[in-house]
Amino acid sequence: MGLLDKIGTKSPWILHFDTGSCNGCDLEIWALLTPKYDVERFGGINRANPKQADILLITGPVTMRCEDRLRNLYEQVPEPKLVVACGNCASTGAPFHNCYNVCQGVDKVIPVDVYVPGCAACPEALIDGFVRALSLWEDKARRRESE
Amino acid sequence: MILSSIAILLLGPLLVGISMGLDRKITARLQNRRGPPLLQPFYDIGKLLSKQSLVLSDLQALFASFSLIFHIIAFALFAFGGNLLVIFFISSMGAIFLVLGAYSTPSPYSHLGANRELLAMLAYEPILFLAVIAIGMQGSFLVGEIVPGLLSHIPLILIALLPVLVILLEKSPFDVPTAHQELVTGPYVEYSGPYLALLELGHWYQLAFVYGMITLFIWGTGITSDIILKLVLAFILLFAAILIDNITARLTRKSMVAFMLTVGIGLIALNLLILYIIEVI
Repeated sequence: MGLLDKIGTKSPWILHFDTGSCNGCDLEIWALLTPKYDVERFGGINRANPKQADILLITGPVTMRCEDRLRNLYEQVPEPKLVVACGNCASTGAPFHNCYNVCQGVDKVIPVDVYVPGCAACPEALIDGFVRALSLWEDKARRRESE
Repeated sequence: MILSSIAILLLGPLLVGISMGLDRKITARLQNRRGPPLLQPFYDIGKLLSKQSLVLSDLQALFASFSLIFHIIAFALFAFGGNLLVIFFISSMGAIFLVLGAYSTPSPYSHLGANRELLAMLAYEPILFLAVIAIGMQGSFLVGEIVPGLLSHIPLILIALLPVLVILLEKSPFDVPTAHQELVTGPYVEYSGPYLALLELGHWYQLAFVYGMITLFIWGTGITSDIILKLVLAFILLFAAILIDNITARLTRKSMVAFMLTVGIGLIALNLLILYIIEVI
């Protein structure tokens, strides 16, 4: 299985979910998929389908309405899976601190592997987070097998 | 003879996989991107096989496996010089099992995708069927007994096979069944992990049959020139399909069926008519 796990890092399919972000980070994520930053170099394509995704790129502070949906999407992704919290809101809920209608970050709802700070997170930082998440892939796959 | 058949059976899907990688690379270059590595489709399949398998029902998994098995049988018959008509019918069974798999889940996207996949089959199967008949009329239905000269006798049928290839590669303007943004991935939407890999492999075998049919049109004098000419012909059609994909937008399902059943059948009929007139004179 070692070889297959290694191959897995070469083909990360993306699911992008907006949990009430201002669209700043979403635009930067879309910049990754367009010619300038072209994340398909690493084999990443936007599948828009949790059942076929490997990496979840989550933006926004997770509003109460989004909480169940985010958990539902996370559960539909088959193992091994990685979660990247994109931007300040997704990491800590920054500008929405103590707000009554948000969960203050993605990690309050689902486990997060990589946090990418920034408002908005710049594409270079997002690629860095993306690649860092991939370095965790083999680890996750091995842990899954031992369980 | 047997050895070369086994070589075709093993190398066919490999070449199709490389052609898919080439397709993604060329598409990326046309869009001014760098694009994924050439072996990306193999990485995708490998990753899908290593993922956890989440199936909704046993029926769904069964249909995916049947789809792959029928496509493999069809291509194996092709490699061993079987009857083109039989190969065509078995290959259609593989396509039907993809649709049944999509219908076996309760998802509305999956159902819409299955409906559209059936419409796409209604569009491309008559053309493929008539092309098989036309090839058979030139001498024999047996792949092993087909003689050189198809390209000079029935060139318009090769052109009619181009839109068939466009539909099978799920490319615009005829990417009606999978229609990303609209239906996510149509009939594939409820599949994940290893079972998606099975369907993808089945798709490769189906394409291998159609590419194989295209390569029957051209023959070289020696074995080396033969292989090179066949590969060049298949690449020309693939490149035309990629070019069409990048310069057109998706058509509606009605116009897809209308186009295929008028222009496609028209080209084949015109070709056979010309052949008949030449024979009479």
